[in-house]
Amino acid sequence: MLSVCKRILRDHTHNLSQILKLAKADLVKTYRGAALGWSWAVIKPCVTLFTYWFALSFGFRSNTPITVGDNTYAFFLWLVLGITPWFYMNDMLVAGTESIRKYKYLVTKMKFPVSVIPTFVSVSKLMVNLVLLLVVMILFWASGHAPTLYWVQLPVYIGFSFAFFTLWAQFASLLAAISQDFLNLVKAFITPLFWLSGIIWRADTLHEHPLIQWFLRLNPVTYLVNGFRNCMIFERWFFETPLETGIFMGWLVLLWILSLWAYKRLRKDIPDVL
Amino acid sequence: MEQKTVIRFSNVSKVYYLYKSNKQRLLGTLFGHKKCKQKRAVDRLSFEIKQGEAIAFLGRNGAGKSTILKMITGVAFPTAGDVFVDGRVGALLELSAGFDPEFTGRENIYLKGHILGLHQSEIAALEPAIIEFADLGDYLDQPVRTYSSGMKARLGFSINVNIQPDILIVDEALSVGDEEFKKKCITRINQLINHHGITLMFVTHSISLAKAFCKRGIVMNNGRAMYDGPIEEAILRYNALIVKT
Repeated sequence: MLSVCKRILRDHTHNLSQILKLAKADLVKTYRGAALGWSWAVIKPCVTLFTYWFALSFGFRSNTPITVGDNTYAFFLWLVLGITPWFYMNDMLVAGTESIRKYKYLVTKMKFPVSVIPTFVSVSKLMVNLVLLLVVMILFWASGHAPTLYWVQLPVYIGFSFAFFTLWAQFASLLAAISQDFLNLVKAFITPLFWLSGIIWRADTLHEHPLIQWFLRLNPVTYLVNGFRNCMIFERWFFETPLETGIFMGWLVLLWILSLWAYKRLRKDIPDVL
Repeated sequence: MEQKTVIRFSNVSKVYYLYKSNKQRLLGTLFGHKKCKQKRAVDRLSFEIKQGEAIAFLGRNGAGKSTILKMITGVAFPTAGDVFVDGRVGALLELSAGFDPEFTGRENIYLKGHILGLHQSEIAALEPAIIEFADLGDYLDQPVRTYSSGMKARLGFSINVNIQPDILIVDEALSVGDEEFKKKCITRINQLINHHGITLMFVTHSISLAKAFCKRGIVMNNGRAMYDGPIEEAILRYNALIVKT
């Protein structure tokens, strides 16, 4: 296990510039070939966002503004802050899981460290998300919510999210390369994950049922989304929720071990199967 | 002068696991290979290759030639035994050098260079030579997915001979090129072998090509080397093998 870990780390440190170059190439590839090109990176999330906002505020009538202390936040702002980080998570659950399959030629046609593939895909997806998050910050500011000290921990949650989903892709992309079924399984669970994790409803005030509460506490997506909202709306530090942060760290360790195990077990079989 | 060994196979075996279904493959891969047919593509193979040698691998389809080249390239791993390779490997496996089909030929030159760890300026310096040799005309700036197999082979070959590899691996890639390109390749490969001391590993079904630059031939049959020696003799053995079956 230790040698696998060393090997993956070395592959990453020796290929840092390659990771950036390939992430850039991945971005170029995603948005090229369409007349509107790069603007799709913004148009697509905006359409999704508007749809949810419309359905929730007019359909479900859950348009209540959120009041924290003296500040009142429009429902739309609260919603944006949940959905924007989700875009990255969603991308990683699909493209991250598919990454090795998609970059087959790096595995079967040349000598290239396989573990680097999920990482550069993750970097590529994060870049798009960072731009979107920047837009969200501007939106908050423009709506009269100037940056507070709590915004400082945004990079912390971005880092958490990046770590979680990169490790996820390290594990899942290897498994998906071996089995199409696993890929389908993951895709099937994306919608439930979105609806059950409190991205579009308030998970922080749901106290009715202890079982549901525990489910949300254990859910890493809920933790991350709450985290982003804690930064910009609820003004809470990440160390103020030690139990939840601890559980999330547990997830990171678990994924890390799983990814090492998958690498050790599957690395040598991958080129034969693809 | 004693040349150093650049490739050494010690008792190398490669087993492919053939499963009935995807589900069984998943279970088998995760929890140990059971309930599957085993195909021994390479069977306890040992050989040594010195720097500057040019070796042709001859044999029928499925004799294990491509698997050997893949193991040398480092994209496949031996099930047992040890593969030692010393130097940068430039490989053309299964006609393609690993291109991203969505990118243009020119972009693929850069991508490939970056993956190999070359700097932008180094690639820019190599670019004219690569373009000239590949001779793709207007297709250079078209996506590689629109290329014919001949064009892919040209570009792949051009990149691989120009990045100055220590070991050049060519798997069937020349058979799709036209005569003129073939000639160009032969001249270039001979030049690389004679002046730059590169080692060539070559898989082909074309006897004349094998003769054109290889002095040593290895005839493969069912994963084992049934002959390893001078190319003329290897060709005779290979022909005998074909006639027999």
